[in-house]
Amino acid sequence: MDDNLLKILEIGVLSTSVLMILIGLYAVLTKRSLIKIVIGLSIIDGGIHLLLITLGYLKRGTAPIFSPGYEHAADKMVDPVPQALVLTAIVIGFAVTAVALSLIIRLYRHHHTLEIDEIKTLKW
Amino acid sequence: MVGTPVLLIAIPLLAAFVIPLVGMIWKELVRIIPGLVLAYMMVLSVTLLHYVSVHGTIVETIAGWSPPWGINLVFSPLTGLLASIMTILGFLVWMYSYRFKRNVDFEPAKKYFIFLMMLVASAVGMVITGDIFNMFVFIEIMGISAYTLTAFYTGRNSAEAAFKYLMMGGLASSLLLIAIAIIYSQLGTLNMADIASKISTMNPGYKITALVFFITAIGIEAEMFPLNGWAPDAYSEAPGPVGAAFAGITVKAGIYVIIRIVFTLFDVPGAYDFLLVIGLITLIVAETTALRQERLKRMLAYSSIGQMGLVVVAFGIGTVEGAYAALFLMLNHAIIKPLLFFSGSYLVFNSKEKRICEVNGLGKYMPFTSVLFALGAFAIVGLPPFAGFWSKLSVLTAAANEGLLLIISLILIVSVIEIVYYFRVVNRIFFLKYDKSTSVVPHRPRFNAVITMVTLAILILVIGFYPDAVTGLLHNASQDLMNTPEYIQNVLHGGQSLIR
Repeated sequence: MDDNLLKILEIGVLSTSVLMILIGLYAVLTKRSLIKIVIGLSIIDGGIHLLLITLGYLKRGTAPIFSPGYEHAADKMVDPVPQALVLTAIVIGFAVTAVALSLIIRLYRHHHTLEIDEIKTLKW
Repeated sequence: MVGTPVLLIAIPLLAAFVIPLVGMIWKELVRIIPGLVLAYMMVLSVTLLHYVSVHGTIVETIAGWSPPWGINLVFSPLTGLLASIMTILGFLVWMYSYRFKRNVDFEPAKKYFIFLMMLVASAVGMVITGDIFNMFVFIEIMGISAYTLTAFYTGRNSAEAAFKYLMMGGLASSLLLIAIAIIYSQLGTLNMADIASKISTMNPGYKITALVFFITAIGIEAEMFPLNGWAPDAYSEAPGPVGAAFAGITVKAGIYVIIRIVFTLFDVPGAYDFLLVIGLITLIVAETTALRQERLKRMLAYSSIGQMGLVVVAFGIGTVEGAYAALFLMLNHAIIKPLLFFSGSYLVFNSKEKRICEVNGLGKYMPFTSVLFALGAFAIVGLPPFAGFWSKLSVLTAAANEGLLLIISLILIVSVIEIVYYFRVVNRIFFLKYDKSTSVVPHRPRFNAVITMVTLAILILVIGFYPDAVTGLLHNASQDLMNTPEYIQNVLHGGQSLIR
């Protein structure tokens, strides 16, 4: 692939991640269904993970492993830290989503609805 | 040495996973093991704090990766003081809730103790870690255990309160991750000391953006004004000891993260003024809202938010004196507010609605709990013989030395509001007549709860009569906070390495 195409790809991925964050934020702020709010939170998380991965990505880079033939290739390696961060963040996002869904089950049993407007008995 | 700082995180996390297993052997172990672990953590953190105040900051590297590459733990006079406050309070919360659901059911108690251990471990971890992403992980662990503890009672609106908290917390973690991504993309490091030493080379636009993301995210955890909608619900719907743990442990960790980021990580001029303004708004809004509350725990929750606003105001003064006053306030709040939560939840124990008007005349039937509640109320508004007086006085002197007269007058006006709503409750308890149809049925506190409340009351009186017992520690901690070059020096260039 030539450099221009890679550049366009990189910008495309970056703007996708920002777009995902904005879509998720829109869902969290405007949707009235609890499930959709949780989906919105997950979309925000996905966008941020994409953003983090793109930050550490190197054009024509290799995997950050010192293997035969790549002993002196440290400057050509993809930064492994963002990948480790994203891995951790995915696990955390999974746990938060699981807790959120179990809370939604509890709320549904209590109120028999998922509409956020009908659940608000506590003042904000 | 009894151990190293990493044990403060590793042992409670291990205990959290071991609790369900040992519960299969003997059910009582589920209650005993958290107590042993918290007692050990308390001894360890206090011993280390003493060691640190004599020999200087301990920097522990994890898994042999020296900073700035690996994760490191920093146990300095400041972080050690906060970790000690948290572990002591964790132990007291355990003592208060030892018989939690004992005769009812085994399952809830097991979950309660697991999440209590995770809460204490993550709060201590947030305070002593030196790595910004590690801090994010601990914030998330704290969040998950706090949501779960909030949703503990199935009978109340607790799931709704917890969901609200989760939504805010989820957004906070996303913003935090964006801020970390900005910092990493610009500076290529996650170590806090390394960031602090390189931050001046960063583009101001990126710097301000990251700071805004950080403050918004942590403002949710630390109950700053427009972001604290979750707090009153979470406090009032969670079980009593959990409210005390929130007020004493999680909020303190949130405040610590704010000050670490503003004071050490970013040197943005104007950030102090921003803290001052946001703290004042939080203080005024929370205290006036507390005045209108009808339920006891919501009132205590709003009072807690107000106190945190005052802490942020004191930090916003920006001098060593201000930091000293703020730390003193945090210490006092950590011992007074749990006493109010413990005694308050016994006062309204048998009531379904937990309204303030239901405590009329309880002073005659529950004299012991009522006196302790009154003592807590007097202490938190800052009456002279109690602990709260010295902290409020030091905030006012710190503000006066900087010539911030408007702030002094606002703090005093808000104090009057505080006195009004606390004394209204105390007045109802002692001077109104007990009425069988409206007042709650008195409930005798259990033995372990009595010991916990008396311990807290003794602490309040000791600090009130001999403030010198803690001022040395607080002075060390405040100087440690303001001395960023020394923090960087300690972490990146050796400092005090740990003798094993």
